Amino acid sequence: MAGKSGRSINNVPESPIKHMIFSWEGILVVLFILVNIFCKGFSEYYNLENLLRQMPVYLAEVFLMIPMAYILVLGEIDISVGATVCLSATLSCMMCNTGAPFIVVILTALIVGTVCGAVNGFILTQFEELPPMIVTLATQIIFCGIAEIVLGSGGSISASNTDGFRLIGGKVGKVPYILFLVLILAVIFAVILGKSTFGRRVYAIGTNRLTAYYSGIHVKKIRFIIYTVMGTFCGLCALFLVASSYGANTTTGNGFEMDAIAMAVFGGISSTGGKGNLAGGLISAFIIVCLRVGLGQRNVHAQVILLIIGVLLICAVALPNIIENVKRAVKK
Amino acid sequence: MSDYVLELKGITKIFPGVKALNNVQFQLKPGEVHALMGENGAGKSTFIKVITGVHKAEEGEMYLFGEKVDFKGPKDAQAAGIAAVYQHPTSYPHLSVAENIFMGHEIIKHKMIQWKAMNEEANKLLKQLNADFDATAEMGTLSVAQQQMVEIAKALSTHAKIVILDEPTASLTRRESEELYRIVDQLKEEGVSIIFISHRFEDMYRLASRVTVFRDSQYIGTYDVDGITNADLIKAMVGREIKDLFPKPEVEIGEEMLRIEGLSRTGYYKNVSFNVHAGEIVGLTGLVGAGRTEVVESVCGITRPDEGKVYLEGQEVHIKQPSDAMEKGIILLPEDRQKEGLIMSWGLGRNVTLPTISKYAKNGLNDEKTERDLAKKLLEEVDTKAVDIFQPASSLSGGNQQKVVVAKALSQEMKVVIMDEPTKGVDVGAKAEIYAIMGDLAKKGYAIILISSEMPEILGMADRIIVMCNGRKTGELDRNEATQERILELAMEKSQNAGEGAAK
Amino acid sequence: MEKKSIMKKITGSREALLAVILILLCLVVTAISPSFLTPKSIIELLKNNAVTLVMSLGMLCVMLVGGIDISIMSTLALSGMSIGMLLKYGHISNTFLAFVIAIAIGAACGAVVGLVISRAAVPPIIATMGFMYVFRAMGYLVSHGGEWAGAAALGSFKNFATSKFLGLNCVIWIIILCYVFFFWFMKWTRTGRKIYAVGSNPSAAEVSGINVKNINLLVYTIMGILAGLGGALQVSIYASAMPDMQYGGEMDVIAACVIGGVSMSGGRGTVVGALLGSLILATIAKALPLVGIGALWQNTIKGVLILVVVVVNVVLQRVADRNALKGREM
Repeated sequence: MAGKSGRSINNVPESPIKHMIFSWEGILVVLFILVNIFCKGFSEYYNLENLLRQMPVYLAEVFLMIPMAYILVLGEIDISVGATVCLSATLSCMMCNTGAPFIVVILTALIVGTVCGAVNGFILTQFEELPPMIVTLATQIIFCGIAEIVLGSGGSISASNTDGFRLIGGKVGKVPYILFLVLILAVIFAVILGKSTFGRRVYAIGTNRLTAYYSGIHVKKIRFIIYTVMGTFCGLCALFLVASSYGANTTTGNGFEMDAIAMAVFGGISSTGGKGNLAGGLISAFIIVCLRVGLGQRNVHAQVILLIIGVLLICAVALPNIIENVKRAVKK
Repeated sequence: MSDYVLELKGITKIFPGVKALNNVQFQLKPGEVHALMGENGAGKSTFIKVITGVHKAEEGEMYLFGEKVDFKGPKDAQAAGIAAVYQHPTSYPHLSVAENIFMGHEIIKHKMIQWKAMNEEANKLLKQLNADFDATAEMGTLSVAQQQMVEIAKALSTHAKIVILDEPTASLTRRESEELYRIVDQLKEEGVSIIFISHRFEDMYRLASRVTVFRDSQYIGTYDVDGITNADLIKAMVGREIKDLFPKPEVEIGEEMLRIEGLSRTGYYKNVSFNVHAGEIVGLTGLVGAGRTEVVESVCGITRPDEGKVYLEGQEVHIKQPSDAMEKGIILLPEDRQKEGLIMSWGLGRNVTLPTISKYAKNGLNDEKTERDLAKKLLEEVDTKAVDIFQPASSLSGGNQQKVVVAKALSQEMKVVIMDEPTKGVDVGAKAEIYAIMGDLAKKGYAIILISSEMPEILGMADRIIVMCNGRKTGELDRNEATQERILELAMEKSQNAGEGAAK
Repeated sequence: MEKKSIMKKITGSREALLAVILILLCLVVTAISPSFLTPKSIIELLKNNAVTLVMSLGMLCVMLVGGIDISIMSTLALSGMSIGMLLKYGHISNTFLAFVIAIAIGAACGAVVGLVISRAAVPPIIATMGFMYVFRAMGYLVSHGGEWAGAAALGSFKNFATSKFLGLNCVIWIIILCYVFFFWFMKWTRTGRKIYAVGSNPSAAEVSGINVKNINLLVYTIMGILAGLGGALQVSIYASAMPDMQYGGEMDVIAACVIGGVSMSGGRGTVVGALLGSLILATIAKALPLVGIGALWQNTIKGVLILVVVVVNVVLQRVADRNALKGREM
């Protein structure tokens, strides 16, 4: 049944270069450069060496941003990540204190995280009517609560054998291992999200879950995998956190969910699903890390930094909507 | 004082790119029931929205009781005594019936809502309508028919002089429809004028004294119900002889492709069996809510049936999820293009290749070049009116969107094609093209199931017609023996237990 | 059909079920510790949970329109800390004025949250997550980086929580006033019913002329006002103001509402439900140490409780739907 009119439909894509320069990622790169100049002018201690030295603590949170980007693309949210990090850090410290070999400690952290993520995934796929927000809110309290119970009244634990943690906290020259790991994982996951069939399906679910289901996509399976991987990355984050502080307490991982969401959303990943990519997320993550290091150099209080990130998060979501509203009003 | 309670002259309503109403007119006499008929997309709904003040017409005048009116919004129309009851009740499911009735015009005294007075008043209205539920019941627990009754009560509570019923019987059972007829008669006796939109000839004969027909956004004519025949009415609605519209090719019917036996799903359908052969188009019809879509959705793995077997080419198949059905070549073109068929914000190309991306992917990574070439080929094959494959699906008209859905199906290995209301909301020209595609598919030897509520479409395209009513298969008609009347007879329960009697 | 009507009764009058659970809980606790049901202990219980009790009314409104607010305890800390510092440095000494200031700060915070959500279309969970940190940080800034306002600094303000009016503790009076007002507001006024309408079917509400955006703004402002009031109560009851007070306490408020039958998707929930939910949560918290479960377990149990309640709701709904389908004649 060849087309009767013989109409031809164009299938040659536009050159991507023009698109790239005017995209959100383009703006972020410019911003990144500005932040670095700004921070440098701000403090005489802000230089590459200091940046690399102070980075690891903040980089641990970038691990969370990577799967969080997937969850946001799905149009969902996971608030329990901070609590999962806390529980994972606590239990891996305990495992370390039993004198187990370090590989077991690593496995403990990853498995604990994965199990927590799988719990979220299981509940959310079995009871699809439930909004992810309330489920992860509840599991947040539970995971954090379990950590509190395990930690007991003291509320903190320190790793007695720090050799292993010192090892993963190490450096090649001046560049910490964690930076390599973050970059490698980010690139792998960016490629999966942007170029693979799995990624395409994630976008399909996030844009129109029903059409995705009718098109034969295993919606449940994909959601479960993503929440579980989120948990695994929480375990990874926990390991590197312990590697920088040699211990854990009830406030470990506190507020990480906001940081991870802020990094992703500021990177142009829509909180309502279906839009954005990990390149943007990664650039925005580095902007926030640099900002934190820079502000930290100036001895800006941790609370003020949280305030700045909170404002950043709200503005990143609100500004595009406000601009849209204004545009519409002007048109009228 | 004019002869008409409501008169509209020369109404033109333009939406971006389309004239939804073109210079139409309408007159409503006091105390009459006036049917408004026409195909989907003829402009009936837009016209109703102009009357109720939801849309503002670009041109034309409207007179209410002889006086010119100009509604700024739905509230004005309501205040003027016009009330509309929509097909899908627009209610608050968590609130009580009384509250739904009085939303926006609550009984207030000393700034406080008078619940007792409101409940009493609501019960009075419900009693008038012979309703079997209380005003304190929660809206969400009522059936669709009961909810419609609440909407009618709401219209009464505003002391409406003109009540518009938009396809009220579409999702009602026979008995519920009878109840509705009674209410409409009662309203008429009380001097209320009624505009009644329906696809069902039965509704029109039973209730209306006059009927106005719209076609392609234009006014065709107003007729006395007593003086018009079915054939004339259909011709007025469709605008041409049925034969011209449906290019049904002569295809040799081959082996049996799909057979379902005793398929049941509690609350949706019961004990449904039928088969389709290669090259055959089987029409599956019945009223909205008869369970047609639910049956095919179970065949395609969208939902799971409780009982029954599905055979493909003689072999029993177990389909647990949509991907199973697709792998086996049973392809569904869903009813709701925008919610189930397409991702509206995505480009056409990506929509077309969505179900099959993994087929041409290399090591799990998408091969975008192959994808683009395939999308272009398929979209051109179905003659989609589009500039490039990157434009979003939302930028196309309904007919072209449907073609994209067809192209999406064509990207897969097909054996059985199930088209659920493929021409819903599609203009007449595009309809003919979709029928042509359907004919081509049959010629290629695919087995086709066509679900449709539109009688001419079913009669024009199907080799065999299966009629469902209230979750059961009530009959199976051959192309030669099928007539509009026979189908309607089967589609509506004649009596309580007609189901068993009529089943073949 | 028999089964369906029983199901309906349970899901239909949720308040009755909650009341039964509360009474059973009280009986069990009294059996273990007879001093539980004395007036003194009840007043103590109410006083200790005054903040949750009052703020669950605001959360009820927010959840009724399908939203959520996790910034409330930061608002509480900001407003409480502000009056704490004002009292400490002697800028004000009048108790009434302190309450007004706290409520005004809360209202302002709530209005900002409401504007961002209703006008800039930011999803409630993201907006309030951001404001949770913003307001908390502002609380720290107000406290000059972590200063406390202790009992000595609060002067006569702390006496409010111990003083009596007509023989009843003033804090209890405030709780009663709030509940009476909201009971009237939600059930008997047009605005209250509009909140329900917006939550039940926003598009229908829009069609019937309700300004959905303003209702959204209103509920977050109400939440802010109650958070401000909560801040003043908190400072008065515990006779101290510190920037990290009630950290994580928003979960108690959300838990109280969820247990009280307020639906997460909007439209369903009552003032009585919020009250019963708060009381059940408070009683459980009080009962746990009595049966030998330490304070450390409280959070976990709260979380499990929320999860169980929402999951049971889904399961009950599924059962009800299935029964309704079975009843369909074919």
